[in-house]
Amino acid sequence: MNKKLPALLLISVFVVATCGLIYELIAGTLASYLLGDSVTQFSTIIGVYLFSMGIGSWVSKYFNKNILSWFIQIEILVGLVGGFSSTVLFLVFESIASFRIVLYGFVSLTGILVGLEIPLLMRILKDRYEFKDLVSKVFTFDYIGALLASLIFPLLLIPHLGLVKTAYLFGMLNVAVALIVCLSFKREIKGAKYLQGGSFISMIALLSGFIYADKITSFSESQTYSDTIIYSKSTPYQRIILTKKNKVIRLFLNGNLQFSSDDEYRYHEALVHPGLQALPFAKQVLVMGGGDGLAVREILRYPNVDSVTLVDLDKGMTRLFQSNKILLGLNKNALLSPKVKVINADAFSWVKAQRKKFDFIVIDFPDPSNYAVGKLYTNAFYKLVKGILAPKGLIVVQSTSPFVAPKSFWTVNKTLESVGLKTIPYHNYVPSFGEWGYIMATEPDNLYKKPLQYLPDLRFISKESLDLMLYFPKDMGKVETEVNKLNNQILVKYFEDEWANVL
Amino acid sequence: MSGQMFYKDEFSAYLKRRSFLLRIGLITGGIFLNSCYKKIRSAKYNIQGALQGPDANAGHLLRDKLKLPSAKNTRKVKTLIVGSGISGLSAGRWLKKNGETDFEILELEKHIGGNSYFGSNKIASYPLGAHYITIANNDDALLIDFLKEIDVITHFEGQLPYYNDYYLTFDPEERLLINGAWQEGLIPDFGVPIADKKEVRRFLAEVDQLKNTRGNDGKFLFNIPLNSSSTDENYRKLDKITFEAYLKEKGYRSKYLLWYLNYACKDDYGQKISHVSAWAGLHYFASRRGMAANAAQNAILTWPEGNGWIMKKLAEQLKAHIKTSNLCYELKPISNGNTLVTVWNTKTQLTENIEVEKIILCAPQFVNNRLLENFNRNIDYKAFNYSPWLIANITTNELPESKGVSLCWDNVAYNTSSVGYVNAAQQHLNLSEDKKVITYYLPLCDFEPAIARLAAYSRNYEQWLDIVIPELEVIHPGITKAIETIDFWVWGHGMITPAKDFIWSKNLEKAKLPIDNKIFFAHSDLSGVSIFEEAFHQGINAAKQVINATS
Repeated sequence: MNKKLPALLLISVFVVATCGLIYELIAGTLASYLLGDSVTQFSTIIGVYLFSMGIGSWVSKYFNKNILSWFIQIEILVGLVGGFSSTVLFLVFESIASFRIVLYGFVSLTGILVGLEIPLLMRILKDRYEFKDLVSKVFTFDYIGALLASLIFPLLLIPHLGLVKTAYLFGMLNVAVALIVCLSFKREIKGAKYLQGGSFISMIALLSGFIYADKITSFSESQTYSDTIIYSKSTPYQRIILTKKNKVIRLFLNGNLQFSSDDEYRYHEALVHPGLQALPFAKQVLVMGGGDGLAVREILRYPNVDSVTLVDLDKGMTRLFQSNKILLGLNKNALLSPKVKVINADAFSWVKAQRKKFDFIVIDFPDPSNYAVGKLYTNAFYKLVKGILAPKGLIVVQSTSPFVAPKSFWTVNKTLESVGLKTIPYHNYVPSFGEWGYIMATEPDNLYKKPLQYLPDLRFISKESLDLMLYFPKDMGKVETEVNKLNNQILVKYFEDEWANVL
Repeated sequence: MSGQMFYKDEFSAYLKRRSFLLRIGLITGGIFLNSCYKKIRSAKYNIQGALQGPDANAGHLLRDKLKLPSAKNTRKVKTLIVGSGISGLSAGRWLKKNGETDFEILELEKHIGGNSYFGSNKIASYPLGAHYITIANNDDALLIDFLKEIDVITHFEGQLPYYNDYYLTFDPEERLLINGAWQEGLIPDFGVPIADKKEVRRFLAEVDQLKNTRGNDGKFLFNIPLNSSSTDENYRKLDKITFEAYLKEKGYRSKYLLWYLNYACKDDYGQKISHVSAWAGLHYFASRRGMAANAAQNAILTWPEGNGWIMKKLAEQLKAHIKTSNLCYELKPISNGNTLVTVWNTKTQLTENIEVEKIILCAPQFVNNRLLENFNRNIDYKAFNYSPWLIANITTNELPESKGVSLCWDNVAYNTSSVGYVNAAQQHLNLSEDKKVITYYLPLCDFEPAIARLAAYSRNYEQWLDIVIPELEVIHPGITKAIETIDFWVWGHGMITPAKDFIWSKNLEKAKLPIDNKIFFAHSDLSGVSIFEEAFHQGINAAKQVINATS
């Protein structure tokens, strides 16, 4: 055997150890990003990983011939499995049911393969060193590798490369070890050509994964969002991004924050309860926009509500909030309730064709930041909505911030009034959004009676807080504006101007 | 002396004709050679689509007076309307409104609509010609009645009509690509020097004043329909000079202003300021005073299929009266005082004779010229010039955008030969469409109409691509690879040109007169400008004449 072999193999012990730990860290981080509860996730991942390494070590005794060749093959395999692990996990995340199986499957597989490596290496080297030297050398390199991995992972790799690229990088390192060993000792290895070919192909696969990693979680995106992106998808209508930092999940649509899990209850309670609590007879409820199901969650608290119709344009959005486990936790399975009918349609055309009347209508569209969405804030649209409102019913419209964008807010108010509705504007503070505004609207002869009591387990809304919400201090006071129409989308212009000063 | 004069006129006419033929030869020859060259070279663009236009065979049949098989039968119709463009449909509507039942509308094309014809694909309906109207002048009672009838005006608030929210052009309405960015509105502003802006303002102030000025007969100087404009000679004489000469005389020199005015004349008349009369040029700016309860003065009404939408509404009540694929070939007076009309059915290939008491010719005058060979109308048909147009409907996956205002209904680029494009899906309510259909309008006004028309007829599909794509690339760099299809539509006789001394000429006045109280005329070319409102009123006028002549 060649003299270089021992040194080379010891270096590979080091690489193997580093890579092994990195895969474990990636799996742990991903699991805690995606499933939450990092203590449990890390604990179970480490447990499963170490146990799998044990299985690998035990299995190693069944490898008798061509150990060097086996070692190289296992290296390549570790590289491939580890390298593609985070990509696959990101991709299957949407269907959360199978996610855990895939996750632990990956962890076990990498564990077993890594567990195989060290015993095999020790057997290759057993004739080169005395046993005590061998054990000392191998484990020294092993633990140094582990230290290195644990330091560079949080300090360099995650901030600069992100999870997906890190995985590919270390996959390539694994394969590189295989390739170098293979090239250096081709005469001593059976089927060296085949192994070389295999490593080349694996290398190219991993390299292209590394290059195209941006498509999976775009690099620029991870820089735009301060938190870790745990999900991203482009539907025909928008780009959906979920981020997570500690326990807080945030949803972004086209880069705009839709909710933050730590304070969304303030928004959704304010959106739903002042209206619905005042309508004890309400049976039929309509929600337009709000594909996250969070408003529906609040609505379903009322036993008198028989059915909730949710109209959201984007199937990608409603499907996500019907299937992802963390998100189902957030909306309490609202979109899976038998009372809820989810319709993926364009709200304008849908309302235009609608004949059924609703007692309570929640309009929770994205802010009017472009002409397309702006149509859903026009008098023409509100006229149609008025047409499907039951005589005693209420509409509530999310109406952007009366503090940052008073003209926009009062334009929505004026537009609702222009179609012959009486409005009840109010606002509250949502830390992620700032001071936020809502407008209820009803037929002019209906009297809006402030609810005296609310459902027991609400965290924000109460009789006292509504009194405050209905009061507009001078800095958010009413301003005169025009009516927003299809043929003069002034709201979009106001909104752009007013938010440009802030963002 | 007069003989010598006559000789001189003949000679110069001869020379003129020679040079005309020479130019036609050069241009069509050039196009032919270019197409041969194209055939050798492989296709440059990987874009599919159709090249279409009005039925050329039917047109030739009429022009060359090919012999028709003789008619097997003769039937009687009290009133016959020839042509189903807006004027023909409007005449039909008026007859029906007044209790007439015995009338028929003949159309030589397979479809109705004339210039308001439209097309559609999976993504949108789109115009093939006329694509908008402005809200009605408040004194135009007939038009307002019709707009009420078809729910374009939904109700009145006080004195003012309330226009249907879905038909007023959705915002954002217009943008202009100038100095590297899209600005709001079409009047050049972005990066335009102060002196030019001042001149633009001066012009707009002038036309605004004209808009509200009445002549010595108490009528508005410029009005719609045109024949309700003031007869004040001080202003009518503006028809005797070109718009260009008028502007020069008034000291307008700003290239930005002149571009804008050229754009406007091309847009409405298919010709530049040098080829339309000053009266017509000013009419564009000073005749529209429509006020609405819910829109700005002079606001625009449009539909995905353009004026095809109004055309369908007009035709809805008339379905039983309309016959398409029927070419009116010839009119003959007969002894009982009626008129015998020879009609060729392009589908069944059969000839029939229709004996009519009254007939309204709602075709352009160059067609009437062929139909009326047995009558002495005594007008100069050569004075009627029609601008050819190319309409391209472009289906594209995306519009690569420059900075500035986002996609509007009307999108124009400064200093290009087209008058821009409209977004066919502007009036769609849906939030997002990944594909777009844009309708691009190119007036063919670089040569005199007859030459431009022949050139247009001789171009093949690839050659049109060569004309349209480079300009689209200027407007939206990189668009070519996003384009799925382009369908071209060539209007050989797209719009009447309100040239110098046309609108208020004796000739046009004569052309409007009925023949023997039996043959009546209605077409926007008799107004001198090709707009919906004129065709609409022309139709009503002729129908009224018919009704009066009968009673």
